[in-house]
Amino acid sequence: MQDFLELAVSAAASGCVYGLVALAYLLVLRPTGIINFAVGEWAMIGAFAGYVLLTRFEWPYPLGMALAAALLALVGWLTERLTVRPLVERGAPVIAPILALLGMLVVFRETISLVFPPDPLPVPYPFGLGRLELGPLAGSYQSFFILAVTLAVFAAAWLFFERTVAGRAFEAVSLNRRAAALMGINLSRVTALSFAGGGAVASIAGLLVAPNVSAHYLMGVPLAIQGFTALVIGGVGRVEGALLGGVVLALAEQLTVRYAPIPSGYAQGVPLVLLMLFLMVRPGGLLKARA
Amino acid sequence: MKRWLAVGLLALCATAAQAQETIKIGVITDRVGVSKPYSEPATDGLIFGADEINRKGGVLGRKIELLVEDDQSRPDISAALARKLIDQGAVFIVSISLTQATQQQQTVTMEAKTPQMTPMNSGDTLTTQLPNPYFWQTGPLGSIQIATLLAHARSKNLKQVALITDNSDLGQLLGRFFKAGLEKSGIQVVADEVVARGATTAMPQMQKIRAARPQAMFMAGVLTAENVLIFKAYRELGLKFPIHSSYNLSVPVYMTVAKGLIDGVTFVDAYDPEKPEVKQFEAAYRKATGKTPYNLNGYGYDGIMMVAEAIRRAGSTDKEKIRAAMQSLTYAGVMGAKGMKYHFPEGKRTGFDPNGMVVRVYEGDRQGRVVHVGQK
Repeated sequence: MQDFLELAVSAAASGCVYGLVALAYLLVLRPTGIINFAVGEWAMIGAFAGYVLLTRFEWPYPLGMALAAALLALVGWLTERLTVRPLVERGAPVIAPILALLGMLVVFRETISLVFPPDPLPVPYPFGLGRLELGPLAGSYQSFFILAVTLAVFAAAWLFFERTVAGRAFEAVSLNRRAAALMGINLSRVTALSFAGGGAVASIAGLLVAPNVSAHYLMGVPLAIQGFTALVIGGVGRVEGALLGGVVLALAEQLTVRYAPIPSGYAQGVPLVLLMLFLMVRPGGLLKARA
Repeated sequence: MKRWLAVGLLALCATAAQAQETIKIGVITDRVGVSKPYSEPATDGLIFGADEINRKGGVLGRKIELLVEDDQSRPDISAALARKLIDQGAVFIVSISLTQATQQQQTVTMEAKTPQMTPMNSGDTLTTQLPNPYFWQTGPLGSIQIATLLAHARSKNLKQVALITDNSDLGQLLGRFFKAGLEKSGIQVVADEVVARGATTAMPQMQKIRAARPQAMFMAGVLTAENVLIFKAYRELGLKFPIHSSYNLSVPVYMTVAKGLIDGVTFVDAYDPEKPEVKQFEAAYRKATGKTPYNLNGYGYDGIMMVAEAIRRAGSTDKEKIRAAMQSLTYAGVMGAKGMKYHFPEGKRTGFDPNGMVVRVYEGDRQGRVVHVGQK
């Protein structure tokens, strides 16, 4: 039982990271219909921002985190302005910006690999390497920190969409772009903000996972795949689906490694199997959009 | 008279041009792919070595010119680059990329009869799958690593151990070598775990290992981030059994990314900081670049030194003569235990002495003393 509870905390923390990446996908996908596979690279840049601000310049953690999120919001906004908007304005099909963003994935990764040394770089833990025991639950400080920050981010996203006029505008655009435009909603602004928001959320995911895996230039693609799988599992209809999908994915991965009577190498196939199963059996994900 | 003057002038120009003509050495490295963390420092060491050779007058009175190409660790690109380098006049190709990419280059060098060597690839199959007499491997083989580590572990009287690796090609390959070596020594592998590239935790794998109650754990993984995850889970679970690692732990990056996690970990290395050649190399490298070198720089340095020595002994850039000179070469370099010399006895094309590796231990966060030498 102790093993299971330890693993539950560890899987929940991993699931939160996947969930944040899924949320970064979702923020862009809902109002624009564009799947942005470069979110993993945004998370990677967030991790490197953490290295520069927290390790090199030794900024206080909250300040470094806020600046990293702001920086990636800017990167997201610039990505939209420079690569997506020109295509949309020329009436390109929706596949065009998706391909352009795949190209940006390479640009982001190569830029980082040229600017920074090839070895992984350390990013500090906000509360050190200790272990926290909360009743029957036990895990690293970082696991609990990831849980807390993720819940705060999802709560903020939920409040934004459910309780603010701007959030309602996002929802309106995701339901019907043309009708939203006729109602006076500025589509360009919503699109730019969705990319900026996606960048900020992805950077938080990168910053949270970086103390465990270090900042390195190849960390983006695995995160992008895990986040995309979480998105498919949870469904694109609701914000909380991203978190649910992330946690389900991480639990499936880690419980399979720990308890399934198969060599642990085969457990790597779990995300792929889940992805295929959901796409075939329940393509809308676990949570359907509200009517 | 005028005609003879013109002929003499032309002959002088031709001689001068020949004196200026460089010896072209092709280098295939990885600047952006998965091998970059290893390829880049090895390439730096090779470039430093080439500069040193040129400062001392070059080889056969000619400067060495490096033609460096990036294969991104992709075998498909790698073979095409080998062809390109040969077409550009490279008389020797040094491969500093992924094992599979180096293997693919051999299809070209074998056909074009162009000498090729890899100074750092550790896959045991590079010289066994193709009967390529133009290819040499001078880095320590994976099998030498495990044999050296096992020789050290034998003194601990281990009966049951755990094995953990990652899912990279090389990590899997080393994992198989480790497992075969352990079982051959009569040591039971009670847990055999894999951490996937891109994982965010190694907690489930380490829980399984904890449940198997091993006396020690062997690490065969080569992915730094995933290895750090293993150390973190080990620490979080409060585990105490000793850890013995592949040469991957000999890369100094662990001193920063695994700070506070690696004290007491033993690892195989091909670099003895107390060796006179190492001290000389470190001083020269530091003077020239302002940086302190480490083992990966040494692989590249030894590689270019051996290539230059083979060309020098061949007395020309004739590829067949270089091949013969390389095959009979004996060379004491930076890498290897004290007194080790690279050589290729009885037609073998792996040049690293099987007793040339050492086992070292992390003392705090620093790579510490040598605790074992060779396979005995």
